[in-house]
Amino acid sequence: MKRAARVRTALRLRPLPALALAVTLVAGGFAAWAGQDWYGAAHDEEAGYAAQRDAALTAGEQAVQNLNTLDHRELKTGLDLWESSTTGDLHEQLAAGRQEFSDQVKEARTVSTARVLSGAVTELDDRAGRARVLVALRVTVKAADGATSDKDSRMLGELTRTDGTWKLSALGQAPVGGNPAG
Amino acid sequence: MTPTWLQRRGDPQAHTQKPAPAPDPTPAPGPDPAGEGRPVSGAGPAADAAPAPEADSARGADPAADAPPAPGPDPARAGDPASEADPAGEGKTPPRDAAPETAPAPLADPAEDPVPDHRPHRGRLRQALLVVVVAALVLGGCGLFYAAHRVTSAAPARNHALTDTEATSRVAGDVGNALARIFSYTPDGTAAAERSARTVLDGRAARQYETLFARVRDDLTEQRVTLSTRAVRTGVIELDGDEARLLVFLDQTSRRGDGKGGTTTAAAQLTVTARLQGDHWRITDLNAR
Repeated sequence: MKRAARVRTALRLRPLPALALAVTLVAGGFAAWAGQDWYGAAHDEEAGYAAQRDAALTAGEQAVQNLNTLDHRELKTGLDLWESSTTGDLHEQLAAGRQEFSDQVKEARTVSTARVLSGAVTELDDRAGRARVLVALRVTVKAADGATSDKDSRMLGELTRTDGTWKLSALGQAPVGGNPAG
Repeated sequence: MTPTWLQRRGDPQAHTQKPAPAPDPTPAPGPDPAGEGRPVSGAGPAADAAPAPEADSARGADPAADAPPAPGPDPARAGDPASEADPAGEGKTPPRDAAPETAPAPLADPAEDPVPDHRPHRGRLRQALLVVVVAALVLGGCGLFYAAHRVTSAAPARNHALTDTEATSRVAGDVGNALARIFSYTPDGTAAAERSARTVLDGRAARQYETLFARVRDDLTEQRVTLSTRAVRTGVIELDGDEARLLVFLDQTSRRGDGKGGTTTAAAQLTVTARLQGDHWRITDLNAR
């Protein structure tokens, strides 16, 4: 009797803790594996680099579009946007020439609207926070008399990362008939 | 100590012994409830109240203990329904099950509670804790796994433009050269360009090129046009395995035969879709920008 009962209780009690232990271990192992997987992925340099590349491209395309868009009726907003999209030399240039430029646009009474057709990053130095982009752009200019004209242009932009955000530090047309590069 | 020990191992005997005839009568006046509880839970109360001799006998001689007490209680508590049931059959055969079911319910709730109830409580608590811990681990693991999956399969990570520098410069080089070759020709014919086109173009791009050349081929020879095309800037927009999209800035310099027209250089922007075939990238689509 006693022995039978003892065996019974043993059988009844033991499997449960064993199973519980096994389940806990498996769950713990899974969590540990997933954590390490995540850690690896999150600290993957290539993924970080890829994210910076995409951030640079997005910011670059937006900035190039901003700098080719200006409405003479909303000069202040437009020019503020220009300044907030840029940094470094380009920013200083724009700030310095702001008054003169806005006078010109006021007089010409033009509305320019830019649309990015395509863009690509050609260089990215993640550590230095520098990048170069190519942007194919179509600018529609509406003159004072209402006539519109489209102009396609291909731009080369240089971006600098300041405080974690990419801003244009140089912008120009890709020269035609110049030396090939990039 | 003894009581618990007794209780744990000796559930059955305790049960039988519960009738504990001896103690019952003695403590009867004072701890009535205790006495009542005793028969029920058997071990607990028996041990508690039971003076030394009882416990001893229980321990010492299991069978002996079983047998003698059984009869004892019966007469003593003839009136008690519980006690009646107990000794009848269960006392000896299925001790564990019988004890709690029959006896405790009516009689010994208070006495019984402290001891046997506690353990299930603790067990249940531990079980619940375990379930929570396991659930937390599994959920946390799933969350991390999902996060990792999102990072690695996110669009930025799948696009190897620039992250894989070798492949990037390779596709840029292949595509730039291909465009230069298929859009450069001399007045003596476009055959070379068209031949190149067959090796570097595919799909829609090949058909576009063919229709274009079918239209202009004669004019070109007639006007003795020389065209040379250079890829001045090539940017890889996307590179995912054997598929790539590029933005290419081209300079196209053309010269009219007789040398009269001079040369003009025009800028062109193209987005190109390319596919890796073997170890060469072939252009599958061309769009002027």
